[in-house]
Parts: sequence; C-alpha cells; structure tokens
Amino acid sequence: MEDRLVYLDNSATSFPKPREVLEGMVETYARLGVSPGRGAYDLAGEASEYVAEARAAVAGFFDAPDPERVVFAANATDALNLAIQGLVGPGDHVVSTRLEHNSVLRPLFHLKERGWIEYDLVPFDSHGRVAAGDIDGAIRPNTRLVVLCHGSQVLGTVQPAAEVARVCARRGVPLLLDAAQTAGQVPVDMERLGVSAMAFTGHKALLGPSGSGGLVLAPDLEVRSTRFGGTGIDSHSLRHTQAFPHRLEAGTLNMLGVIGLRLGLDIVLRTGMEGRHRLEMTLIRRLREGLSALPHVTVHSPEPNDDDLPLLICNVEGMIPEDVGAILDADYGIMVRTGLHCAPFVCADLGDCPNGSVRFSLGYRNTEEDVDRALEAMAEIARSV
Amino acid sequence: MPRERYRTVAGREILFDSEGFLWQAEDWSEDVAEQLAAEAGMAGLSFTQWKVIRFLRDFYFENGRSPLNRKIVEGVGMSLLELERLFPDGIKYGARRLAGLPNPKKCM
Repeated sequence: MEDRLVYLDNSATSFPKPREVLEGMVETYARLGVSPGRGAYDLAGEASEYVAEARAAVAGFFDAPDPERVVFAANATDALNLAIQGLVGPGDHVVSTRLEHNSVLRPLFHLKERGWIEYDLVPFDSHGRVAAGDIDGAIRPNTRLVVLCHGSQVLGTVQPAAEVARVCARRGVPLLLDAAQTAGQVPVDMERLGVSAMAFTGHKALLGPSGSGGLVLAPDLEVRSTRFGGTGIDSHSLRHTQAFPHRLEAGTLNMLGVIGLRLGLDIVLRTGMEGRHRLEMTLIRRLREGLSALPHVTVHSPEPNDDDLPLLICNVEGMIPEDVGAILDADYGIMVRTGLHCAPFVCADLGDCPNGSVRFSLGYRNTEEDVDRALEAMAEIARSV
Repeated sequence: MPRERYRTVAGREILFDSEGFLWQAEDWSEDVAEQLAAEAGMAGLSFTQWKVIRFLRDFYFENGRSPLNRKIVEGVGMSLLELERLFPDGIKYGARRLAGLPNPKKCM
C-alpha cells in the first residue's frame, strides 16, 4: 500500500481541514472564547461583535438580506429540524422529493407518525432531476412547506431551485432548500433563487469544523421556536425571545464552531469557489470516464452538468460496496463512502438496495494523481472479479 | 428484508440478525461455522479460511471489538482483495459472518 492516503469522502465532510482554519480557531477561541452577549465586560462585547460579523459574512455569502435571520445550528440536519418543525403544524401537508437525505425524511416521517402532517415525495427522472411541474402538481390547499434537496449526495445532481421557488412563490408556499452539499461548492444565492429558507452545514465545502452550520431565513418567513432557553436577553420573561436570531437559538452558541465557519468562509471566498469547482468537475469526469471503461464496474450517477457536484456512485459486479470500500482502504489507502448514503429512496429507485453503492466524492485538496490512484485500484479490483 | 430469527444450526437454537449474522458471538462453534459455510455452498473450510476465522475471533475476544481493515491485513498476512476472493461471499458476508462476529453495521 502506498504511504499517502487519498481521501475521497468529501461529501461526508471535507478532510483534512485547512491549517489556517484549525490554527485560526485555536488562536481566536483562546482570545475570544467567552459567552457572547452575556456579560457586561468588554470581551463579551467583542465576542458578540465577532458573532455578528460572522452572521453578516454568512448572509453576504448566501445573498441573504438580513444577517439577523442567520441562525446558527449544529449542522444542516439540526437546521432542517428547526425549520420543518417550526413551520408546519397539525393538519398541514408538505411536499418534498425522493432525493432527500434522512435529515428531511425522518423529521417528516416523525411528524406524520405523530398524526400531525401528511406529505408527498415527488420522483426524480432518469437524469437525477426533479421537475418543478411535479412539485406544482403535488401542492394541495393545505400545503405549508416544500423542502428540496439542492444537491444530491448520492447522484451529484443539482436541482432547479429557482424554478421550484417560482412555483412555490406562485402557490404561496415557502421553499426550504437543503444546501448541505452545495453550500461552498456552487453558488447558493437566496435572493436570486427566491428561496424562503436555506439550511447549510459548515463542515463540508465551507471547510469549517463539524458542529457548525445554520439556517438562513427570508425576512418575511415566520418560524416558531421549537426549543427554548437562555438567549442572554429578556431574561425576566419565561417566554422564549421572539426576536431573530435568538428565537431559534437557545443556550450558549458554539463559539468555536462559529469561528471555524467564518474562517472557512474566508478561505472559500479568497481562493475562489468557481475555479475550485471547475477543477473538481474536471477530475470527476476523468474518474467517471475511467470507471465506465472498466469491466464489471457500473457507474450509476448520471452524466454531470458543469454546475453539478463532484461525486459519483458505482458498483462492482458480485461484490458488496462495503467490501469494496474496505479493500480500497486497507489495500490502497483510498477512503470512500459505501452504503445507502442516508438517502434510502434514491438507492431504492436506482435498484441499489439493500447494500447501496460505492461513492467517490472529491474536494478542495484532490488532484489528478488521486483520481488516477483510485482508477488503478478499481481496475485491480475489477480484474479480480 | 427478513427480521432477526432463531433457527437451529449444528444442533443449537441460535438467534441470527436480519442479514444472517449471529446475534451473540458466544453462540458460535466450529460446527456452526461449517454448517453456515455449507449453506453458502462451500465444500468445507480450508486451512487458510480457518486461519482467517480464528484471527477474527481471537481479535474480537481480546479487544472487545472487530478488527479494523488494516488490522485484518496485518493479522492474516494477505490483502483484503485476496481475502475477498478467499470466501465466496466476500469479507463481510463470508469471513466476518462465518466467524460469528456481530454484524459490522455502518451508517447505511
């Protein structure tokens, strides 16, 4: 096995994080790691200012008009839970898609199981895309929310969010965009797209640490609090603060995560998201072409567009994905994801159940050499079939 | 997918999970491994296959967990690709299952 490990699981999380993020987190947290907004001393004020600047940076990055409507959360799943549970109630209907991650499917199922809501999941086509017209057709008079996976972590396809947003605007239903895979990878401009709410995570293409992320809301969207506690303001009242962002934040913020998120954002902005994405798409096409030429290997992801994600899934005939992943790891030093990728309906619709597929997902550190190493390894595995 | 169930293997009533893994590693015996191998269409277990099975079990009981990928390579002295080919059902459903170790469930 070669000494250098090749990390191709960037859709799960980017790794390793830039040293600038890690060292900057330690330095800033050592200097400002007090409880922001909860003390009369200057350092608490400076920490609050840092957090406010981080909210502004996130709002600017996602083309959102109001930094006060940037709510920090633990990750995209946490943010999606905040939005879904805060937007729907008993008797409501939700429209989503069969592309979704369990971060959407499970909250919806939970609410349905409690007897609160009903939902419909619209299908994706053979190119891995959802049609805005299908979402239009699924909206009922009592539909209170549409949830759309912006970029599929299984297929790599980016969905027509602007088209879906136009449908939602016409039907008067808010659109919640799950940007876990797209934030920091391709532009996610809330105002241009016209989405009402957007959930993101900091630890993938934004290059921040795990435990960071958030929910960004349009100015007119009302989301109920679903967890309650200290906010540092209005402490005399037993009612949870209703002003944003505190309405959806309870307890001391993950200051270290906010610092890392802001540092990651800075790097993404400085190094240029578009150039990096172009390079990663060139690499994924090289990988796709190489894998497609191998006997006994089937690539399931559709041919990517330029604005899709740099990932693909495949299977090796006669081998379960988990074994392929173990072999890539132990024998070739290549780390990939295997299984259902937390998207059970996508795998079911592709016919990949129960074992799923092998996913290669590229990130900011990958090179042509990494792709060629993966191709050589897969060629040897395929030859053994 | 079938749920976990009891069935009689090598004269013992044993609980298996939905993927055919033993629920309790302690329920395993060489006779159980041989019967599971026969059910998988194998005509007995070779010396090398037994070596792999014994390594997996020894590691599990010494460390309280299954070995990581690279520990298997070190322990059995062969690549995982060779191990995959050694058992008709591969690493997970072949070697690990016949060794009677708990199902190595990952986030699927």
